[in-house]
Amino acid sequence: MTAKFDLNDDSLVVIVGSGAGGGTMANELAQKGVKCVVLEAGNKLSLDDIENDEWAMFSKISWLDKRFSAGGWHGARNHPNLPAWIVKGLGGSTVHWAGVSIRFQEHEFKMKTTNGEVVGANVIDWPITLAELSPYYDKAELKMGTTGEVTGMPHLPWSADFKVLAEGARRIGYSKITAGPMSINSVERDDRPACQQIGFCMQGCKLGAKWSTLYTELPKAQATGNCEVRTNCMVLMIEHDKTGKVTGVVYADAEGKTQRQKARVVCVAGNSIESPRLLLNSASNMFPNGLANSSGQVGRNYMTHMTAGVYAVMPGEVHMNRGTAVAGIVRDEAHNDPKRGFVAGYTIEKLALGLGFLSAFLVPGPTGWGRKVSGALEKYKYMSGVWICGEDLAQEQNRIELHPTEKDQYGLPAPVVYKTDHPNDTNMRNHSYQQMEKIYNALGSTEIYNLPAYPASHNMGTNRMSEKPRDGVLNKWGQSHDIKNLFVSDGSQFTGSGSPNPTLTIVALAIRQAEYLAGEMQRGHV
Amino acid sequence: MYNPPMQVGASAAARTEVTRRRLLQSMMLVTAALALPALPPGALAAPLNADQKTTLLRVARDIYPHDDLLDDAPYQAVLDAILVEAESSPEVADLLSKGLADLEQRAQHIYKANYIAISKPEEREGVLRTIELTDFFQKIKGGLLMGLYNNKTLWPKFGYDGSSWETGGFIDKGFDKIDWF
Ligand SMILES: Cc1cc2nc3c(=O)[nH]c(=O)nc-3n(C[C@H](O)[C@H](O)[C@H](O)COP(=O)(O)OP(=O)(O)OC[C@H]3O[C@@H](n4cnc5c(N)ncnc54)[C@H](O)[C@@H]3O)c2cc1C
Ligand code: SF4
Repeated sequence: MTAKFDLNDDSLVVIVGSGAGGGTMANELAQKGVKCVVLEAGNKLSLDDIENDEWAMFSKISWLDKRFSAGGWHGARNHPNLPAWIVKGLGGSTVHWAGVSIRFQEHEFKMKTTNGEVVGANVIDWPITLAELSPYYDKAELKMGTTGEVTGMPHLPWSADFKVLAEGARRIGYSKITAGPMSINSVERDDRPACQQIGFCMQGCKLGAKWSTLYTELPKAQATGNCEVRTNCMVLMIEHDKTGKVTGVVYADAEGKTQRQKARVVCVAGNSIESPRLLLNSASNMFPNGLANSSGQVGRNYMTHMTAGVYAVMPGEVHMNRGTAVAGIVRDEAHNDPKRGFVAGYTIEKLALGLGFLSAFLVPGPTGWGRKVSGALEKYKYMSGVWICGEDLAQEQNRIELHPTEKDQYGLPAPVVYKTDHPNDTNMRNHSYQQMEKIYNALGSTEIYNLPAYPASHNMGTNRMSEKPRDGVLNKWGQSHDIKNLFVSDGSQFTGSGSPNPTLTIVALAIRQAEYLAGEMQRGHV
Repeated sequence: MYNPPMQVGASAAARTEVTRRRLLQSMMLVTAALALPALPPGALAAPLNADQKTTLLRVARDIYPHDDLLDDAPYQAVLDAILVEAESSPEVADLLSKGLADLEQRAQHIYKANYIAISKPEEREGVLRTIELTDFFQKIKGGLLMGLYNNKTLWPKFGYDGSSWETGGFIDKGFDKIDWF
């Protein structure tokens, strides 16, 4: 029973984007009887469209609309038009994601209190605490099927590749070594099968063993009869009335025709580049700097996590491609200890790449060629490697801006994505390189490759929550400080990035936001 | 107030970065200094002769060398696709002939020899490094990256399995087997 709503129906919640944030909002609201429309810029794929092929899936699902990389990070040079690696399609980046589902640590909600002012950064505490979010983390894990205590689902079995990392980690004295939590079924659950160790999790899970809103939240929302999903619909701007309340959105439909959908509430969940871009592109006489932007913080404080890669040639065969892409996690450096030369912490995540991606990213960009690169690739089956994911401190100048002249295919100013490392990031990255060298040396490997950041798969912070309206865009519910019926429901809400991969927290926040929003609607407050 | 220390590692990294940037800048100067006079407008680039094609193959093999692993065929396939493109695109034809002429001029300048006559692989790589940021070089490198490493027929040679869902993944095929430590 899929709903079909009228364009003039102004009783609806309009949700922009269908990924981790938007897809979850849709289902949570629909289950509560709140009528909603999801507008998704991308296509609908089915499991039949999913291939075990890195580049084929990259071109099928990536967001490849015009974008520019800027700032001091190497990507401004090496990935000039691919600042971020995220999805344009139904299900958003949950089609692509690897499934790592770690909760924030308590101190990661209050980095300002924990470390004081950090020179050159723009850090504030979250307006919520771990205690407040914990019940929603439980709900998120139950929803997503996260391995661990809450669901009772065991972690996935250790792959050979993870055993290599685990052994090296053990030899240097690490002990927080686990094959989860992952939102991947280790047993059949929620009408989805158990993982078969196919190994292309980031190309879309062919079996649906990995959680994605594409085949969980969205069809469940539609089945209630309270939710309509429209694909190939790119929202161009949000409109408001004389009082400043938002009244609906203007979008380009599948035929390229401009449509206007009325709304009682708008929830923006286009990921951390598109969400602030939409608010900035919705500037009006009343809001000349963009919607919800009295603080000037829309698009600012862009965080991607401090990331790095390390790959090494092992003395024996590994075949890292055999098994889940992220087969396990080491969390011995995730704590906050400024004595290491940086505040905050990082996780070490096993990450298998296929030959296609490894060849492009081992030494990324125009200078990545020559005997060293080709020699390493010949040893593919001996290689093992990790992705480092650490907290990235908010900096005001890391930002999304509208390009003054360049436009995308919809005629909207293209986004320019500025990212420059803070010295804290540099120190943390160097620390992780040193630790990984110890781990791989302990296994007898001496051929080690340090990779810089990939185009950002984790994008956060560009509409951050704040206690005080002058410090951020949203209150602790993800509701705009300026406009009561405008919400942001994706990772751009994050006040700080924490060290954990963001999706579990995005989903927990969306569950919490949906509860608040449904209540506020019932009380007639929005 | 926390001010992260400038670490030895960090400043070393910063130094490398500066060195790298200087290197790139100086390379670009070299590029400018050695640039050939532009062809008169309207002059059509001649198709490549046999010697030039042989040089191009040497260049391709030097970009991603696999001396013992791969024969010429996959390299040649990438070049053939570019040569076909050059037949209908004067820009691509021009890129190739000028790129090669530029390369030969550099080889002469540095080693007093044709590119192909430079016997040491690391010396040829050195010459190629001076043109690595040119469109000519990147066109060939980009083609090879896909043609060699995103080429399913070559994956077995590299020990990469590729698609596995058709055969049920690795759950019953030793995804967890490891014995060397
Ligand atoms: C390769 C990869 C691996 C990852 N692995 C992990 C992991 O292991 N663990 C983890 O926690 N996270 C992981 N992530 C990150 C995770 O996917 C994202 O953090 C998460 O999906 C973000 O949710 P979101 O709702 O903010 O945006 P998305 O999920 O990206 O959804 C945004 C959606 O909005 C749509 N949209 C944007 N603008 C508009 C518009 N104007 N109109 C209509 N629609 C619009 C987009 O098309 C998209 O579908 C990974 C990401 C990638 C790319
Ligand atoms: S390894 Fe498991 S989760 Fe990953 S794609 Fe395969 S079945 Fe899905």
